[in-house]
Amino acid sequence: MKKKRIGVFICHCGTNIAGTVDVKKVAEALSKHDGVVHSEDYVYMCSDPGQKRIVEAIKENDLDKVVVSCCSPNLHESTFRNAVKEADKNAFQCEIANIREQCSWVHPNMEEGTDKAIKITKTVVEKVKHNEELEPISVPVTRRALVIGGGISGIQAALDIANSGHEVILVEKSPSIGGHMIQLSETFPTLDCSQCILTPKMVEVSKHEKIKLLTYSEVQEVSGYVGNFKAKILKKPTYVDPDLCTLCDECTKVCPVVVESEFELGLTGRRAIYIPFPQAIPATYILDDTGCPGLLPIACGKCADVCDPGAIDFDQKPEIVEEEIGVIVVATGYDLYDKTNMGEYGYGKIPDVMDGLQFERLCSASGPTNGKIIRPSDLKEPKELVFIQCAGSRDPELHCAYCSKICCMYTSKHAMLYKHHVHDGQAYVFYIDIRSGGKGYEEFVQRTVENDGVLYLRGKVSKVFQDGDKVKVWGVDTLAGKDIEIDADLVVLAMAMRPSEGTEKLAKILKMSLDKDGFFSEAHPKLKPVESVSAGMFIAGAAQAPKDIPEAVAQASGAAAKAIGILSQERLYHSPMVAKVNKHLCTGCRMCVDVCAYDAISIKDGIAEVNEVLCEGCGTCSATCLRAAISVKNSTPYQVHEMINASLGG
Amino acid sequence: MVALEDLKQEAKNVLEGGTVKYIIGYKKPAVGFMAVPAFFHKPEDLDALVWDPTCVHNLVLFLKDEKKKKLGQKEPDERPVGIVVKGCDSRAVNVLLQENYIDRENVYILGVSCGKTGMVDLKKVRKYFKGKIISQIDFNENESFTVTTTEGKVEVPAADIFAVRCTECITASPVIHDVLLGGDSVRTPENPFGSLEEMESKSQGQKWDFWQEQLTKCIRCYACRSICPMCYCDECVVDTINFAVYPDTPAEEKAQKIKWVEKSPTTSENFIYHMVRAIHLAGRCVDCAECERACPMDIPLRFLNKKLEKESKKLFDYDVGYDTEIPSLISSFRDEDPEDFIR
Ligand SMILES: Cc1cc2nc3c(=O)[nH]c(=O)nc-3n(C[C@H](O)[C@H](O)[C@H](O)COP(=O)(O)OP(=O)(O)OC[C@H]3O[C@@H](n4cnc5c(N)ncnc54)[C@H](O)[C@@H]3O)c2cc1C
Ligand code: SF4
Ligand code: SF4
Repeated sequence: MKKKRIGVFICHCGTNIAGTVDVKKVAEALSKHDGVVHSEDYVYMCSDPGQKRIVEAIKENDLDKVVVSCCSPNLHESTFRNAVKEADKNAFQCEIANIREQCSWVHPNMEEGTDKAIKITKTVVEKVKHNEELEPISVPVTRRALVIGGGISGIQAALDIANSGHEVILVEKSPSIGGHMIQLSETFPTLDCSQCILTPKMVEVSKHEKIKLLTYSEVQEVSGYVGNFKAKILKKPTYVDPDLCTLCDECTKVCPVVVESEFELGLTGRRAIYIPFPQAIPATYILDDTGCPGLLPIACGKCADVCDPGAIDFDQKPEIVEEEIGVIVVATGYDLYDKTNMGEYGYGKIPDVMDGLQFERLCSASGPTNGKIIRPSDLKEPKELVFIQCAGSRDPELHCAYCSKICCMYTSKHAMLYKHHVHDGQAYVFYIDIRSGGKGYEEFVQRTVENDGVLYLRGKVSKVFQDGDKVKVWGVDTLAGKDIEIDADLVVLAMAMRPSEGTEKLAKILKMSLDKDGFFSEAHPKLKPVESVSAGMFIAGAAQAPKDIPEAVAQASGAAAKAIGILSQERLYHSPMVAKVNKHLCTGCRMCVDVCAYDAISIKDGIAEVNEVLCEGCGTCSATCLRAAISVKNSTPYQVHEMINASLGG
Repeated sequence: MVALEDLKQEAKNVLEGGTVKYIIGYKKPAVGFMAVPAFFHKPEDLDALVWDPTCVHNLVLFLKDEKKKKLGQKEPDERPVGIVVKGCDSRAVNVLLQENYIDRENVYILGVSCGKTGMVDLKKVRKYFKGKIISQIDFNENESFTVTTTEGKVEVPAADIFAVRCTECITASPVIHDVLLGGDSVRTPENPFGSLEEMESKSQGQKWDFWQEQLTKCIRCYACRSICPMCYCDECVVDTINFAVYPDTPAEEKAQKIKWVEKSPTTSENFIYHMVRAIHLAGRCVDCAECERACPMDIPLRFLNKKLEKESKKLFDYDVGYDTEIPSLISSFRDEDPEDFIR
C-alpha cells in the first residue's frame, strides 16, 4: 500500500494561539513526524486565503489527508472539510486538532503550550492516518410538522408553518385550543381583550386546510429522527360527534352531574357534558367520562335522549392516531405553581385567597361573574384588595428559584382593572422590586400607581389568615421600615409559573432535555433559543421559560422558521461517523441496545445492528461493549490506541 | 437437605426420558475427596453422581463450551443440557440469560440447596485435619459437616472449614431451576461484605503495597479467566494470542489489532489485566470464587470482585443474577443514579 501523504496546517488564530504556542516550532516538529509531507503555519487558517492554501497544498503535494491545528472542531470542522472536498479529496480525510480551547487558552507558558500543541497535533495525525473515506448519509424529509400544545405559541407556530405550505398536525391535550391566553381578560400593556385578539387565530386554525387539529389528544410515543419522525397520538373519546353537535345546549340542561369547571378554575361548575367555553375550537360539546354515569346508558343517558341530531355516542373508544412528520415544535406552555404549596398564604384553603388566573376570570366579561369583581366566600364586592407578587418565585429555599417574569406586569394590570371596576376600593401590592422591562411596560406600571392610586408596598408578606369575614395580611414595608397589617376582603397571589403538567413525561417521550427548573432546554441560551439539542425538535413559548404573549409569539414564529428551514429541503444529510458492529465478536448481549440514548441499535438474528440514521456517533455503545464488538467509524479503538501512543511520545 | 437419591432419580428421569441430552454434575475424584465435574450421557452412569460440600465447581462454566460446540454443528441437538447448580451457580445462569448468551430452553436446571452451610474450603480442611486422610465430607441438618477420615467420622462446625464466600452468601438455594432439591433455604448473613472490612481499613499506600505483592506473583496462566463462566468473549483485550480472525476479517482490521497489554507477566501489565477483568465483572460476578480457587499462585482475587459487588449494591442497589429482565449493571442508566462522584 502506498504510504499516505499527510499535510498539517497550524493556525495562529491571531494571537489566540500564537500568543502562547510557538506555531513555527509546531510546524517544524510536525514536518518530521512519520507520514507528514507538508507542514505550514498561517495567521488565520479559516480565512479565505487560509482555506485556499489548504486546497493548493493538497494539489501541489498530492496530499491524501489533512490535519488543521486550530480552534474547536465545533467551530470550523465543516469549513476545513469543505476546503478538502474542494480539492477533490474525501471530506472525512480532514481532522481538526484543537490547540486553542484546552491548549493555548489555558497555558500561560509558551514552552508548555508549544509542547502540548505538538502532542495534540501528533495524536490527530495518527488518527487521520486510519480514517476511512466516508460519505454523508442522506435521508428524505417527511414534509409535515407536529406541533404539541395549542396555546398561543402552538397556534402561532402551526399557522406560520401551514402558511408556508406545509402540513401541520396540532395536538392539544385539553378539549379546546387557546391555552392560558383564552382565560385572560385584558392583556397588558395595551389592555386589549384577550379573547378578541386570540379567537380569530383559533378560527383560522380550525379552517386552515393544511392544519389537522387533534384536541383532547396526547402524544404517546415518538420514534425516528429529524426529517423522519413517527408519532403515536392518543385521541381520547369525547363521546360527541363534533360534526353533528349543533351547540344547542339541550344536553347540559338535563345532565345531573356537576363538577368544577376547569376553564373557570373552580370558580363555578359545569356538567359532565359541556363545552369548555363558548368560543371553543373545535366548536362542540364533549362528555367527560370521569364524572358521567351514562357510560352505562342504563344508569343515565339523559343527554343522548334530548340530543336531536343524535350527536352523542357512548360507544366511542380511545383511538391511536399514527402520523409521520419531519419536525416537532413543542409549545406545551406553563401551569401556575399550586397555592397548596404556600403554607404562609393558607395552603389554598382560604376561600378569598385566589391566584392570578382566577382573578383574570373574575375580571373577564365572559367569566363566571360576567366581569363583576366579587369575592367567592359571600359574593360581596371587595373594598380592600391585596396583591402579593413573587408568590413562590425567587425563593430558592422553599419554592422556585427563578423570577416568573410576567407577574409584575399582570399584577399591575390586575390592580388597574380592579380600580376600573371598583372605584372606591383600595388596592395594595406587595412586591420585592418591579421588573417592567418591555415596550410600554414601565409606563403601564406608572399609570397604575399614579392614575389609579394603587398602593405599592415594598416588602414581603409573612402571613395570610382568615379573621372573621376578613383575610388578615401581615407584612412589612421595608421602605418605611414598618410592620403592616391589612384587613383584606380579597387576596390575589401572583403565583410562580411552572412547566405545564406532564412536561417531564413528554420530555421522556421526545428524549428532550429539561433545565434545572423543569422547563424545556434550548440548545444555546443565546444563539439557539428555539432549537432543542435534539435535531428537528424546536421549543416555543412558556414551555421554555416564563414568557408573556409577545415573547411567546415571537419565539413561536422563530421556531416555525427553523422548522420550515428543514421542511423546505428535499433531503437531509447525516454524519457518517456512526457505530459499526463486528459481527464475529458480538454475542447479542443487548448492552449496547440498553445504553444507546438514540435507540439506534437493535438485535437482529442475535447480533447488534445499528440504524445509521439514528446513530449520533456518541460512542456510548463502544464504551459499554465488553467484547469491543462495536465501534464508531473514524474513532475506532485502534485509532484511540494510536492516539494514546502518540501523546505518550510513542 | 438434599437427598442424593432424589437428585439421582430426577436426573435419571430426564436423561432416560430424553428430555435432556446429557447432564453436567459432580462425581467422586479418582484420588482424594473433593468432587470433580462430570458429564453423564447414560442413565446408568448416574450412579456415580454425587452432591456434597466438596462440589465447589461452578458447572455453569461448561455451558460456554456447549454453546460453542453447538455453533459449530450443522444440525445441533436442540435439547437442553441438564445441569446441577447451587445457589450461586444459579445466579450465573441468570446472568448468562440476562446477557442473551444462552436461552432458557438450552438448560434444564437441577437446583440443589446448600441448606444451612455451603462448600468447604480445601485449604481450611487441610489445616484443620493436619495430614489426616479424608475420604468423604457430608452435609448435616445443622450448621456442621460430617467428615470421614481413616480414623472415623467427626462432626466439624461449618464455620471452621467452609469457604468465606459461603459465610457471606444470601442465596443458599437456586433462584432459577426446573426442579429444586433440598427446599428453599434463606440465609441472612449478618455482614454480607464482612470479609472486605480489613482490606478497606487499610490506607491507600498499604493497599497498593498489598496488591503490588499479590499481582507480582501472577504468572498470567489465565486460569482465573478460563474458569470464569462470565469470561466468554472470543477475543480478550488482554491477550494478543487469541485475536479472532475470520476468513472475512478485512486486512485493515487484522493489521489494526491492538496490544493494550503486553504478553509478558510483568507487574504493571498484570495490574492492567486484573483491573480490566475486575471491571468487566462488575455487575456480573456472582461470587462463586472459582477464580480464586483456581489460582495456582494464591492471589486473593475474590477481594476485587467482591468489592465491586459491594459498590454496585451501595451505589446502584444492583444485585447480580436475580432478575433477567433488567439491563445489566454497566448498561443501565437511571435518573436516580448517583452522580456526585463526577467532578
Ligand atoms: C394571571 C396571568 C395573567 C397574564 N396576563 C398576561 C397579559 O396581560 N399579557 C401577556 O402578554 N401575557 C400575560 N400572561 C402570560 C400568558 O398567559 C402566556 O404568555 C401565554 O399564555 C403563553 O402561551 P403558551 O402557548 O406558551 O402556553 P399556554 O398558554 O400555557 O398554552 C399551552 C397549551 O399546551 C397544552 N398542553 C400542555 N401540555 C400538553 C401536552 N403534553 N400535549 C398537548 N398539549 C399540551 C395546554 O393545554 C395549553 O393549551 C398572563 C399569565 C398569567 C398567569
Ligand atoms: S454490547 Fe457488544 S456484544 Fe453486546 S450486543 Fe452490543 S455489540 Fe454485541
Ligand atoms: S454511537 Fe451512540 S448513537 Fe450510535 S449506536 Fe452507539 S450509542 Fe447509539
